[in-house]
Amino acid sequence: MIPTVDPWAVAPMMPVGLGVLLLPLFDVFLVRRGSLLGQPLTAARRSTYLAAASLLFLGASLLVTLNAFSQPIRVFNPENPMVRMDGVALFLCATVLIGALLTVLASSKYLEHVQSNWGEFYTLVLSSVIGMMFLAAASDLLMLFLALELMSIPVYALAGFHRASLRSNESAVKYFLIGSFASGLLLYGSALLYGATGSLVLSEIATSFDPENALDLCGAGLVLVGLAFKISSVPFHQWAPDVYEGAPTPVSGFMATTVKVAAFGVLVRVVAVALQPASDAVGPALWMLAVLTMTVGNVMALIQRNTKRMLAYSSIAHAGYVLIGVLVGGEAGTRAVLFYLLSYTFMTIGAFTVVAVLARDGREYDAIDDLSGLAQTRPFLAIVMSVCMFSLLGMPATAGFVGKFLLFSAAVQEGLATGNSALVWLVVIAVLNSALSLAYYLRIPALMFFYPPREDVQSSAPGSFERIVLFACAAAILLLGLMPQDALPLLVSVLHMPDVNVLQLASDAAASLAP
Amino acid sequence: MGAPWLDSLLGEHLLTAITFLPLATVLALALVEGIVRLPEPVWKWTSLASSLVGLALTGILWQRFDPAVSGLQMVEHVEWIPDYGIHYTMGVDGIALLLVALTSFLLPVVLLASWNDIAKRVRSYLFLMMSLQTGMLGAFFALDLFLFYVFWETMLIPMYFIIGIWGGPRRIYATLKFFIYTMVGSLLMLVGIVVLAWLHQQQFGSLTFEYYGSGPATGILDLAIPTEGGAWWQRQGFLFGVFALAFAIKVPMFPFHTWLPDAHVEAPTPGSAVLAGVLLKLGTFGFVRYALPLFPQAALEYAPWIVGLALVGIVYGALVAMVQSDVKKLVAYSSVSHMGFIVLGLFALNAPGISGAVLQMVNHGVSTGALFILVGMIYERRHVREIDAFGGLARAMPVYAAFFLIATMSSIGLPGLNGFVGEFLILLGAFQHLRWPAVVAASGVILSAVYMLWAVRRVFFGPLVHEANRALRDLSAREKLVAVALVVPMIWIGVHPSTFTNPLDRAVTELIETMSRRAPDVAQSIPTGTDEGRTGPDSESHE
Repeated sequence: MIPTVDPWAVAPMMPVGLGVLLLPLFDVFLVRRGSLLGQPLTAARRSTYLAAASLLFLGASLLVTLNAFSQPIRVFNPENPMVRMDGVALFLCATVLIGALLTVLASSKYLEHVQSNWGEFYTLVLSSVIGMMFLAAASDLLMLFLALELMSIPVYALAGFHRASLRSNESAVKYFLIGSFASGLLLYGSALLYGATGSLVLSEIATSFDPENALDLCGAGLVLVGLAFKISSVPFHQWAPDVYEGAPTPVSGFMATTVKVAAFGVLVRVVAVALQPASDAVGPALWMLAVLTMTVGNVMALIQRNTKRMLAYSSIAHAGYVLIGVLVGGEAGTRAVLFYLLSYTFMTIGAFTVVAVLARDGREYDAIDDLSGLAQTRPFLAIVMSVCMFSLLGMPATAGFVGKFLLFSAAVQEGLATGNSALVWLVVIAVLNSALSLAYYLRIPALMFFYPPREDVQSSAPGSFERIVLFACAAAILLLGLMPQDALPLLVSVLHMPDVNVLQLASDAAASLAP
Repeated sequence: MGAPWLDSLLGEHLLTAITFLPLATVLALALVEGIVRLPEPVWKWTSLASSLVGLALTGILWQRFDPAVSGLQMVEHVEWIPDYGIHYTMGVDGIALLLVALTSFLLPVVLLASWNDIAKRVRSYLFLMMSLQTGMLGAFFALDLFLFYVFWETMLIPMYFIIGIWGGPRRIYATLKFFIYTMVGSLLMLVGIVVLAWLHQQQFGSLTFEYYGSGPATGILDLAIPTEGGAWWQRQGFLFGVFALAFAIKVPMFPFHTWLPDAHVEAPTPGSAVLAGVLLKLGTFGFVRYALPLFPQAALEYAPWIVGLALVGIVYGALVAMVQSDVKKLVAYSSVSHMGFIVLGLFALNAPGISGAVLQMVNHGVSTGALFILVGMIYERRHVREIDAFGGLARAMPVYAAFFLIATMSSIGLPGLNGFVGEFLILLGAFQHLRWPAVVAASGVILSAVYMLWAVRRVFFGPLVHEANRALRDLSAREKLVAVALVVPMIWIGVHPSTFTNPLDRAVTELIETMSRRAPDVAQSIPTGTDEGRTGPDSESHE
């Protein structure tokens, strides 16, 4: 009657879940009390306490996740496998939690500056994080949809958090409409796949998938389209620049990193497991998606005048690079994808946090020209931003280069093994795109160091939480760039966790995935 | 003393010590700066002292280097990213030794020359110069392709900031052009490097980026890279192409040279000196160390094209230099011309050609570095660089004129100074089987004499037209020291070049042997040095 479940499978999600329940109560508690620990409770101080509390819950989750690496794979309900916490899921959960930690740290002072200092912010972040963690571990289509919605709906609200700003409201509505549309497509595709294969579980879909059948292919296509919206790949990317520009800056950072990380995680799983029999069709589609996404992202970023929009297009371009790893698949490709997602989280949150620090007096200073002369007024910010920019463009000694190197390496390895030149073409295109991206990434350090500061832009000094974020991001970028071997064995072991690894299925047939 | 750490630093870890001493110095200074604000002179004197220690260490390296031993010496090997076969491997051969000596020599000279030149943000400037030094030294010593690539790219960042912050009016345009142009070439080379490593995995079963194998382990240089058949990206043509493109942009070879005049002119004096003195040599070093031995058949096949481009560079560079009114731009275009000479020597593919080319790399570094520094001295006084603004300068600044004239003679290749030895060897090597290209190149020597001497005549001799020039003070003691320091190698290499060609011999012979070995089907087309062309202490002793 009562199914035998393994509650330890969802142990990483539990502290955050507890946080979602307790944080609103803590918020109300603080509002009703006038003072805590002998000090009067201003909105700013309330916000700081709430941030600290959410850090505790996120940190606890992170610890549980890291501990779970050394344990066998856990499936919540083996008879109806919806949640499967294997190495890939744990790594992505850890990445998402790190991203959320950095976001929470970066946002408390920012919210004060844009006068949107409400406690619900942290609850929404934590709710979204639960959705992301389940998304990373989803092994069946229904769980995928559930987790996707659980992740997305709080983010829709977060995008519109700056209620006084028209752009923020526009951002929320736009994201909500397009995101719901994408979820609808995903659901329809899932229904078609269920109808065609008789199962919602990803691994079972693979066994009964018929690549000749139109129903199967339509279902697969719609699922891919739905996911492509979430990772903002071209031509499903149109929402991203507007949404990132309008949302509060730390939320843009949150969206650009953690949402993408979780969505990529499930994309890898769907492509490698469920759609593996359809690799002759899916391969060329992914190839085209990768090329379009990289190129359009980079070209459009060249003409941007707003830092957040530029970073939005930059994150679209990076999604294109990661798609190479998804296309290659197997152990090498997945390892590259995981490393890239982790390093990309640090680079992007670092860059968005620098923009967030510039906010004051209810408005943001997110035009690219506002960064002018930052090296003279705020050298710490300028150095961190430069490290992030150099990492995003792929300069050696930074994590961005190692990520790109791993991706190219995987593609070349696969190309050599299968004699498939299309993969090497992809690497050449990616390299040319990296060259193209130099033009807009280099503009930022040039503005900061070579131009005098503007008189009308006076940024406030970063608070201590923000300093921690900036320092952590820069340090992580350099450490991962110079000493990646500490991360690599972890990645290798992640893909080889004991018990059957879901991606082992993929690595055997990885050759057929490429066009 | 016998302290074990000192022994190991001067022994097995000498190369790492030389490479990272500059960076370690400024990192230490920056750390201390975070606690207590150090006055500018502390930064300046510490950096100068560190650069002199680096020079001393290079001297120790030179002394420990055994010219008779084949292969690489002082090899250091540490595992870096073992999952991908990436190692921290450093080693030195005769070619790298000479270039490292040039680099270590130039830094203290440049620091001393720019002592009062850089007025604002001195700490940042010193940090960037020393980081740049580390990057360049690392690229010369690196024996792992990944490590080489890391040093090759990271060098761009300090140069980007140096030009962008302390440069001239068009500095931002110049530095962006320099960075983007160079990096585009390097990115394509990255594809080639990754392909090579995985080819090694395919042929030998282990993934490695190590260039030379050691013992039972094989390296990239042991690969058999096909010239035809197989995928287009596994063939020598493509791989040589991407490597050659990256290096050609750096050298710079025509038509990839357009970044150089802007970068050289807009850069501050010390930046130009280092850029011309060392950075350009990295391109030709790349050809000698990587492109030629790895892809000999492709090198032979494309040699006519490359020689052609080199000739265009020589003649075109010289002609454009002739019509320049800005003396710094004149020197910049003369660089294009001289680097064309070096490429010609390399692609003569014989012992005198290649030895001459490597020696000329050092010569060009010294003489063009000297010219940029000397131009900087006059710019510091008058803040103009137009030739028309001068005239009769020798009356006001005779000592300066003398040193400038020596540097000019060195640059145009007057026998007795360093330029002649290099040019002579290159022409000797080229003439052996590239008859008419050598004739064209020789005309380049005449052209360089024309534009340099004409410029010198207009600047230094003739009547003292502008009153502003009359009051100019001659060289200070510091400037004289810098000038003398630069002239010494010019004379030394000119009259006793064997000191510098001795370490080269083995390395050049091995290079040619490697090329012949790796391309047995075309080995007879590679003109190995015959007795009449062999370099050695005897052939130049009569100079």
